[in-house]
Amino acid sequence: MKKNKLVAMMPVYNEADRYLEQTLEQLTRWVDEIVILDDASTDETANICQQYPKVHLFKNETRLFNQDETIVRSKLWELAVQRNPDWLLAIDADEIFSDRIIDEVGYYINQETYQAISFRLFDFWKSEEFYRVDGAWNPWHRPGSVFLARYHPEWDASWPDNVIHTGRWPLEYRNLKQIYHSDIRIKHFGWANAEDHHQKFLFYSQKDLEQYGKVQPHTKSVMALPNKVKLEEWFERKRSLKDGELVNER
Amino acid sequence: MKDKVGILTSNFYDPSGERLIYGGAERYGYQLTKLLLDLDYEVEWWQVGSGWEQELMDGVMVKSIPVTKSPYETMPDLNYAFLERAADIDYAIYFITFLAYPQVKEKSISLSHGIYWDYPTFDNLINGQQGREEWLRRLKIALTGPEKIVSVDTAFIQWVKATWTGLDHKFNYIPNFVDLEKFNPQNRREVLKEKPIRIIYPRRLTTVRGINETIRVAEVMTSENKDLEFHIVGRGHKDGTEKELMKWASKHERIYYYWQSPERMAQLYKQMDIALIPTKAAEGTSLSCLEAMASGCVVISSHVGGLSDLIFNEYNGLLVKPTAKNLIEAISSLLADPKQARLLSQRGIEVAKTFSMKQWRKNWEAILKEVFN
Repeated sequence: MKKNKLVAMMPVYNEADRYLEQTLEQLTRWVDEIVILDDASTDETANICQQYPKVHLFKNETRLFNQDETIVRSKLWELAVQRNPDWLLAIDADEIFSDRIIDEVGYYINQETYQAISFRLFDFWKSEEFYRVDGAWNPWHRPGSVFLARYHPEWDASWPDNVIHTGRWPLEYRNLKQIYHSDIRIKHFGWANAEDHHQKFLFYSQKDLEQYGKVQPHTKSVMALPNKVKLEEWFERKRSLKDGELVNER
Repeated sequence: MKDKVGILTSNFYDPSGERLIYGGAERYGYQLTKLLLDLDYEVEWWQVGSGWEQELMDGVMVKSIPVTKSPYETMPDLNYAFLERAADIDYAIYFITFLAYPQVKEKSISLSHGIYWDYPTFDNLINGQQGREEWLRRLKIALTGPEKIVSVDTAFIQWVKATWTGLDHKFNYIPNFVDLEKFNPQNRREVLKEKPIRIIYPRRLTTVRGINETIRVAEVMTSENKDLEFHIVGRGHKDGTEKELMKWASKHERIYYYWQSPERMAQLYKQMDIALIPTKAAEGTSLSCLEAMASGCVVISSHVGGLSDLIFNEYNGLLVKPTAKNLIEAISSLLADPKQARLLSQRGIEVAKTFSMKQWRKNWEAILKEVFN
């Protein structure tokens, strides 16, 4: 049976003291190649990336993400598809899949029925133990996000005209019909450090004003009073399948 | 020019048109579409939605009609809009019985997936006892319109026959199918030979499917028998239910909760010993039951809906009233007599062969020929 090739695409910026190593350590176990676009980091990010043989590292001379996210995303896409993928993974440096993905990714990228796989993303809030569940943060109630999609070289790869929240996939990939919603969970640590919140809030508020003319409710909710924020504790799940075979790893 | 078949359903996609629903009825819809295409018909689906159109498979569109009301468990606005707007179709299939109310295309077939009103809270949907009369009136009209009604089980046919004897001639019994190429006992583990012994509940997490009884059984039996493992495999209708089940399973060492795609289930069944199908209501001839049986799992099921068309008690499985106590007893009886369990599994494999996809296609082909000519 033909084994499909999975290429991960990841934008990075000053990730050295964050989750980059943890993310790459795990990704290395289940993707074939990792295409990274370093958005002009000033720390050890590039050196860390180069320690992983599966990584193909590219670098912007000046920082572009804070000016126009679409430029970064579309450039990353172009670089990733040059690696001739069958499937693509769109992931950020602070997102970590549960280890079950290692057991099951082979099925996802070699099946013929679905064009994409969506997952539930859990936003860890001021900690690495608790994720946020109030309003639009609730991972259980919002639709799953597409992280894995089959690559179609024949499709047009145009992007929306956004400076922020541009999305991770070209427009053609946003109306796929056959999406499988996996029960494997993804941890997102972008909000795990409370010290980042105010700065991030200012950045996204500014971008919202540029793009929408007003600050969006989701951006405002970053600074929600503690009594409005609801949290839930992360719980581990057991792994049971390996390449379709049940295993008893506990 | 090809003859065109219009199929009316409520939800093939979710009403936003963004997500394909992939339950048993939708799998049925796929196979029916494939058969119609193989027979050289053109196919078009209609459902509830804001007016979007989606391509289901090459050349097969799903069109949507903005309808929100479903009085007395019927959808007359949807029915009427389909009649008016799908003007270029030659034949119609009403994919759910009640969608044939109040009026149908002249050459039409409707489909019953089984009795769906045999649970206590159904009354709430039809405005209690005073609404029952109106609901029945509408159901009868829905059954009267189409030239033929395909029923996936005999229970629905018997109920209609006993209620309105004159409608008996409308029915064709075509039980559900199992794809034996995928679901078969090749390379399966021998039943009740290896440890851990694995029990699967391959259903949605709903009360009518018996999830609450299964939870109880799993807790009691795994605490008493260290060799047992329970796998609850299926999605909930509510995201919160999935969360609760994940949390619950994470607290029990030998209880697993997850879901898998229908394609992957074939491989999973081969690694299971016993399948629980403890349905309490609203059941036809369950695809899960047929697939588990064809794969060689010993099936413990109930006499609800069409399940007794598939399982003969103590011949090719066990049929019990689905209480936790009865299910525990049934599982224990299998564990105590693996030889008998293997015999039930073997016979299950044989019986499942009579529900082959091939036979199902043949049955449908005959009725399509009869009505659509």
